[in-house]
Amino acid sequence: MKQSNKIIVIICMLLGVFNAVAQQTTQIFRGQVLSGGQPVSNANIQIDKQILHSDEQGLFSFPAEVGETINIQITAVGMHILKQRVVVEATEKGSRSFTLKKADQQIEEVEVIGHTKVQEVNRQAYNVTAIDATKLYNTTLDISGALDKVAGIRVRESGGVGSNFNLSLNGFSGNHVRYFVDGIPMDNFGSSFQINNIPINIADRVEVYKGVVPMWLGSDALGGAINIVTADRFRNFVDVSYSYGSFNTHRTVLNAAVTSKQGLTFQLNAFQNYSDNDYKVTVEAADIYTGAYEKDAVVRRFHDKYHNESVIAQVGFVDKSFADRLLVGVILGQNYKEIQTGARMRSVFGQWHRRGSTVMPTLKYKKTDLVKGLDLIVNANYNLGKEQNIDTVNVRYDWYGTSKPNGTNGERARQHYIYKNNEGLATANLNYRMGERHSLALSNVFSTFNRKGHDELNPTNATYELPQKTDKNILGLGYTYGIRDVWTTTVFGKFITQHNESGTQDTTHNRFGYGLASAYFVSPNFQLKTSYELTNRMPTPYEMFGDVENQEANANLKPESSHNVNLGANYSFAANEDHNFVVGSSLIYRYATDFIYNRLNNNQSKLVADNREGVETWGADADARYSYKSWLTVGGSVTYQYLQNKQKYEPNYTNISPLYNDQMPNIPYLFGHADASVIFNDFLTKGNTLNVGYNLLYVHEFYLYWPSRGGQKLYVPKQFTHDFNVVYSLADSRYNIGLEAKNVTNAKVYDNFSLQKPGRAFYVNLRYFINK
Amino acid sequence: MKKLLIALLAVSVFTSCKKDDVGPPNYGDYIVAVSPIASTGVADYLLTAATLDEGSVTTRGHGVEQDGTYRYYMTANNKFFSMLYGQGNPGAVTTYEITNGSLNKVSDFQSETVQAFASVNDDILLMKISRNITNKLSNFYIVNTNSLLITSEGTINSAEPSNNGELAFSTWIRQVGDKVFAPYMSVKGCCGDAFGTAFPDSTWIAVYSYPQMKLEKVIKDNRTSFIGRYFVDGTAVDENGDFYAFSSAIAGDAQGIKTTKPSAIVRVNAGTTEFDQSYFLDFEEISGGYNITDWLYVGSGNFVVFMTTREEKGLYAVGKVLGVVNVYNKEFRMVSGLPNKADINSVTTTNYSKLNGVGYVGFTLKEGTSYIYKIDAATASATQGLRVEGGTITAIAKLN
Repeated sequence: MKQSNKIIVIICMLLGVFNAVAQQTTQIFRGQVLSGGQPVSNANIQIDKQILHSDEQGLFSFPAEVGETINIQITAVGMHILKQRVVVEATEKGSRSFTLKKADQQIEEVEVIGHTKVQEVNRQAYNVTAIDATKLYNTTLDISGALDKVAGIRVRESGGVGSNFNLSLNGFSGNHVRYFVDGIPMDNFGSSFQINNIPINIADRVEVYKGVVPMWLGSDALGGAINIVTADRFRNFVDVSYSYGSFNTHRTVLNAAVTSKQGLTFQLNAFQNYSDNDYKVTVEAADIYTGAYEKDAVVRRFHDKYHNESVIAQVGFVDKSFADRLLVGVILGQNYKEIQTGARMRSVFGQWHRRGSTVMPTLKYKKTDLVKGLDLIVNANYNLGKEQNIDTVNVRYDWYGTSKPNGTNGERARQHYIYKNNEGLATANLNYRMGERHSLALSNVFSTFNRKGHDELNPTNATYELPQKTDKNILGLGYTYGIRDVWTTTVFGKFITQHNESGTQDTTHNRFGYGLASAYFVSPNFQLKTSYELTNRMPTPYEMFGDVENQEANANLKPESSHNVNLGANYSFAANEDHNFVVGSSLIYRYATDFIYNRLNNNQSKLVADNREGVETWGADADARYSYKSWLTVGGSVTYQYLQNKQKYEPNYTNISPLYNDQMPNIPYLFGHADASVIFNDFLTKGNTLNVGYNLLYVHEFYLYWPSRGGQKLYVPKQFTHDFNVVYSLADSRYNIGLEAKNVTNAKVYDNFSLQKPGRAFYVNLRYFINK
Repeated sequence: MKKLLIALLAVSVFTSCKKDDVGPPNYGDYIVAVSPIASTGVADYLLTAATLDEGSVTTRGHGVEQDGTYRYYMTANNKFFSMLYGQGNPGAVTTYEITNGSLNKVSDFQSETVQAFASVNDDILLMKISRNITNKLSNFYIVNTNSLLITSEGTINSAEPSNNGELAFSTWIRQVGDKVFAPYMSVKGCCGDAFGTAFPDSTWIAVYSYPQMKLEKVIKDNRTSFIGRYFVDGTAVDENGDFYAFSSAIAGDAQGIKTTKPSAIVRVNAGTTEFDQSYFLDFEEISGGYNITDWLYVGSGNFVVFMTTREEKGLYAVGKVLGVVNVYNKEFRMVSGLPNKADINSVTTTNYSKLNGVGYVGFTLKEGTSYIYKIDAATASATQGLRVEGGTITAIAKLN
C-alpha cells in the first residue's frame, strides 16, 4: 500500500482544568506526531534546548507558558526535518497540521521495510523482528499464523482452529519463549486468550525478540519473547471484521475506541472464533468392535469443535497531567474445546472436552516525566477464571465415530475437574533518561500462582488438596548508552527468585543473569547487532503442576540457564529508484544447561517437562525483500538450526551415552517461507485498491526420535503449502473484502507426528474501518 | 558490504547430514527389542538376528522404530505382537511377521491397555483388569491370530472369585488344557492402598471356560502367597501338561510385606483343577533364602529363575541373580558365568527358550552395553552371546 510520503504533525493543545487567569499561566503543551494518518513513535522533538521523544502514540508533552513562542524541530527516521514556530494560546483548541516533504531516496527504502514504527523496533540493539500487523488486517490470521512467517520461527499446531500450538524460536520452544501484550506477561491469561486465538487485528505490531530479551520486558524468557503491541494509535475508531470459511469457521473481530477531548477514553476489543474443524484426515483406522484394520482410511474429524469469545474493555484517561494513560479494565473470555485425539491420531476420543474462562481485572498506568526524564509504568492483573476438564463418558471411540462401552474410567481418565489457578501479576518499570544519551531502567515483575480445584466425580480425592503454589519475582536493572542513528549499547542484570510449594516439597531458587546488547550503524542503511546474555528461566507452574490435560506434573524440575549469543546484520539498498532491496541475516549460538524440554511420558499419553544436562544450538536465518515501485513486493526467509544433545552420560550408566552429540529429535531444523504480492492502486475506481498475494511455506522433514537410532524410522514428512489471497479495499480502505485459499494443493500437512492439519480451505473476510 | 552478507548467508548453509556407514543388518528369525538408554525421544527398536549365540546388533542405523517405548511383546501363531501400554489411553497392537529375515508390519489395531495377555488356541486373550473397588468389572478381548480381528469381547466380575470384599487382580493368564487359568492377587482397590490386601497368606487361581470366559471354579491354597506379580507371569505348563506356578511371597499392604509364607512353587496336575497337595517346593529353603521374582521355562522341568535376597525383597524389585531349579527333583543351582550383580543395570523380562534346556536372557550392563546370555540348565552355566549396542533389551523372541 502506498504510504503517504508526507508527515503531518498535529499538535493538540489541551488546556489545564483550572483555566488561564493571567498571562503567566503554565500549561502542559501536548503534541502528536503523525505520518500518513498514523502516529510516529520515537520521533526526536527539540524544543529550544530540550529534547523529547514521541511515545508509541506519537505523543509528546512539555510545560509552556501561555503566550510564549516556541521553536519546535522534529526529526524522524527517513523523514525531513520539520521546523515550526508555535505560539501557545490560552484558548487554543483542536489541532494544527504541519506538512513535510519527503527527505530523499531513503524514504523509498523505508517503504520497502514497511511501517516506520516497525522499522524503529527493528533498529533496536536486540535481535528483534517486528511484524507490521496492520498489513495483515484483511486476513483471517491469528497472531500465531502471522508469526509463522518470521525467520527463525516455526509454529507447530496439532490441528485446526484452537488446537494446541507450540512455537519454536531458534530451536527453543514451549516456555523458553514468553508472550506479552503491551509489555505485560501473558502467562496468566488462561486458555481463552492465547496467541492461537487472538486475531491479528488486535495488534498494531508484533515484536519478536530472539535470544536476548530486553530488560524492560522483565521476564525469565530464555529463548526469546513475543510482544503483541495492541492497536491504540487512533483516539476514535471502529474496526470490525467478519470471516467465514471452510469447516464452518466463523471469526469476528471488533476493535473500537472513543476518546473525549478531556482525555476520557473507552477502548474495546472483542473477538470470536468458531470452527467445527471437521476436516478430512488420512489415518490408520481400525474398527472398534472387530479391530479390522484399514491402512489409509480417509475419515472426517468428528469431535473437534472449538469456539472462544473474548472481550477486553478498558476505561480511563489518556493525556492527563496525572497520567499519560490510566486504564482500568477487564478481560473476559471463555472457550470450549473438544478433544479429538491424544498425542497420536490412533487415540481417538468422541466426548472428552474442556472449557475455560478468563475473568481478569486489569490496571494500566503510565506517566512520562514524573520528574524530568523519569517515566513510570505500572501494570497489574489477576485472573479469576477457571478451567474444566470433562471426561465423564465411559466409552471408547474409533475413527468411524463408532463407540462401545469400555468400563468405568471415562475415555481416558474419568473426571470432571474444575480448578482455578489464582494467578496474579504486578509489574513496575521506571525509566530515567539523563540527557539524550544515557538512560537507566529498573523493572520488577511479581507473579503468583495457587491452583485449587476439585473433581466433581471424586470429591474425596486427596491429591487435589495438596498445595500447588508458586511465586516468582524478577528484578532487573539496565543501563543504555546511545548515540541516535550511530550506535546503542545496553547492559543489564536480572535477579530472579522463585518459591514453590508442591505437596510437602518446599523449594526456593535464586538465579542471577546478565547481558549486553549493542547495535551499530555502519551506514544509515547498514546495521550490525550483537548481543550476549547469561539467562535463567524458572519452571512454569504448568510444568511443575501439569495442565490436567496433556501435561504431566514434575515438581522436581530445576531452573534452566543458557548462554545466548546473537549476531545480526540488516542492509537496505536500491538498484535504482524503482528497485529496492532489504536483506537481513542473523547467527545464533545457545548453550543451555538443565535444558527444560517436554518429552512424552513412557506410554506416549502425556507430555512431561524434564531437564536435559546440555543442549547446544547453532543457527542461522536470513530474510530478503524486494520491491518494485510501490506495487510489487517479493520476500522470503530461510532458517536453519542445529540442536545437539550434549548430555554425555545418562543416569545409571557409566559409558558415554550413544546419544551424546546426536541431533535433538522432533524439532524442525530447516524451514522457510516466501511471499509475493501485487498491489493495484485505484483499481476500477479512484481510492480502491486490489491486493493479490501468494504465500509459500516449506518445512523440511524431521525425525520423531533420535536420528542415529533405527533403520526404518518414523518422521514428520516435509510440508509444502501454497496460499493465495485477494483483498479489495474500497473508499481508502474503509471497506475491505478478502478471499483466501489456503493449502490449495490439498497437501497432507503435519507439524507433529501423525497429527494431520487441515487440507485445502477457503475463507471470505469482510472488514470495515473508520477513524477520526 | 554485499560480500559480508553473502558470507553471513554462506555460514547458514549447514553441516550436512552425517550418516556414517552403519554396516549391514543382521538378518534372521530372532527378534530383539531394544530401548535406547536415554530419558527423552525414546522409541523401542526391533532388530533381527540370525543367532543369539554370537555376533552383534546395534540400533545405530538399524531396526524398525516403534512409536514409543513402554511396550510389551509376545509371539503367537508365528506372529510377533507389539503392545503399547497406554494407561487410560487406547492401547495399540502392532503385528509383525518375518520374511527373509526381515520384519514386516501386517496390522496395527487399537485395543485397550491391558495388564495380562496370553496365547489361547489360535487366539490371543487380552485382559484389562480393574483395580478399583467401585468398578468390579474387568474386560477381556479375544483376537484371532489368523484374521487379526477381535472375534469376541466381554466382561468378568473381578469381585466374584475373591468373594472377600477385595478384588481379584489377575497377575497373568494361561491356557491349561481347554481352560484359562487366571492366578490372582487379592487387592483392596481403594483407600490409597490399591494393591494392598488383608489376605496375604493365600494362593488363588480363577478357572475360566474358553472362549466364554465363565468363571467355573476358584482353586485355593494356604501354603504360600499369591502367584506371580503385577504384570509378571508366574506360571508355566510343562511337556506333561502339568501346571507350575511360583509365588514371590510379597503380599502385604501400604505398610509393607505381610505374608508369613515362603516364596515357593506349587503344582496343578494335568486334567485336574486342584492344587496338588502332595507337591510343594519351598524355594527359600532350597535356595538358601532367595525368592523368585520371575522365571523362564526352558523344558524338562527346568526353570531359569530370577531372584532377590530376603533383604532386597519388594513388590517391584526385579532379581539380577539367576538360578536354575528343576521342579521335578527340586534341585537348585546358582547360574555361573553371568556378569557381576554390581555391574548389571537391568535384566530383560521377556526372554526366549526353545524348551531344549537352554534359555536366552538379556542383560544390560551399567557401562551401557547389553548382552544376551545363553544359559544351559544342565550345567547351570551361562555364556555370553549376542552383543546388543545402543540400549536395554526389552524382549527376545523368535519366529519361523
